[in-house]
Amino acid sequence: MARIVGGFGISHTPSMGLEFDKGIAGDWAPHWKPWFDGTRPVKDWLDRMAPDRLMIVYNDHLNHFDFSACPTLAIGVSDTYPQADEGWGPRPYPDLPGDTAMSLHMTERLVRGGFDLTVCQDLSVDHGIYSWLPYLLDAPWQVPVCPLAVNMVRHPIPTSQRLWDLGRAIGTALREMPGDERVVVVGTGGMSHQISGARFGIANEGLDRWFLRHLRNDPQMLVDTPQEDFMRLGGTEASELAIWFAMRAALSEEVAEVYTYHTFPAVTGCGVVVYEEQG
Amino acid sequence: MSNSMDLTLDPPGTYVYTAEMALKGHRLTAFGLSLRRAHNREAFLADEAGYMGRHGLSDTEIAHVLSRDWTALIAAGGHLQAMLKVAATVGQNLWHIGAHNSGMTVEELMAICPRRISAIPGEEG
Repeated sequence: MARIVGGFGISHTPSMGLEFDKGIAGDWAPHWKPWFDGTRPVKDWLDRMAPDRLMIVYNDHLNHFDFSACPTLAIGVSDTYPQADEGWGPRPYPDLPGDTAMSLHMTERLVRGGFDLTVCQDLSVDHGIYSWLPYLLDAPWQVPVCPLAVNMVRHPIPTSQRLWDLGRAIGTALREMPGDERVVVVGTGGMSHQISGARFGIANEGLDRWFLRHLRNDPQMLVDTPQEDFMRLGGTEASELAIWFAMRAALSEEVAEVYTYHTFPAVTGCGVVVYEEQG
Repeated sequence: MSNSMDLTLDPPGTYVYTAEMALKGHRLTAFGLSLRRAHNREAFLADEAGYMGRHGLSDTEIAHVLSRDWTALIAAGGHLQAMLKVAATVGQNLWHIGAHNSGMTVEELMAICPRRISAIPGEEG
């Protein structure tokens, strides 16, 4: 059976990806450099973990989906996931590799387990994954992914408890997946930020650090915190933190926290936390 | 230029994207998302008003886009992610939207971001 070797939670933003491309070309923005330095240990950890598969819970930003059909939970079932054009043209990266058999296994287990997923055979992926992947894994990517998209663009969004339960079911399904793959589970969503309205740019570093501090030891307290509180105090898009619960819940209770980092490059709280299963 | 932040979710500080907003801004958002395609961006830039007319936008919505009135567009239910594509197509970006929403110039907004506050759920003063 497959084995979950660890997981991480990480922020994503469009500018994070664009600034990385500029940096690689020799023009590192001073306010973004700390984030790329601060996530370097995550790349080293991933190298050591040598995962065969990534299970990624993320959110699309109206780049693949639109309001003609806006699924609350959707899974990709394909052997390839191209990059979405977000309105300014794609960045110079290859398509993400998928594993149809893994996605079918996950779909089967999750739907039978009570999660009515929208199944996507043609799924393009936006900065929810493409913004951080290029600096954590070298392209062209060899590790197939299974993407699961969560609606965060239109309320009602799924509850924190629902995403926690989804993570539990993801963990069980992965551990029952035939084969001997080493799997890393990823939950990605922005930390404190708001990018519209007069509160544009609200930044609550204390909230983000409080979240990072408690996610391992006291996740239920965070799950029980009203989503409206995250949005009031951390900005409307801090609701995306709920996605991190799906990652945490897929891991064991006694998982070890091996790394955490947080900074505020521009308008979005950027954080990462890495957990490793023991033995 | 004020950097005080209300810890509420009320307009004009915050526009929570509810179903009501989505219904109100249905065509506006669909128009913005049509700009995910390069050939649509070219067609829009060649004739902004004509392109929007063909997408069924109202005269008021078209006027807001032509005057880059990002605040009116957000209030009218244009989803931020869709309006961001309009901004990118016309050579603006997230900062222009944020500055317009905050009643500042881009330079003023950039100078005060990140706009730091400190509050933890359950521990608010």
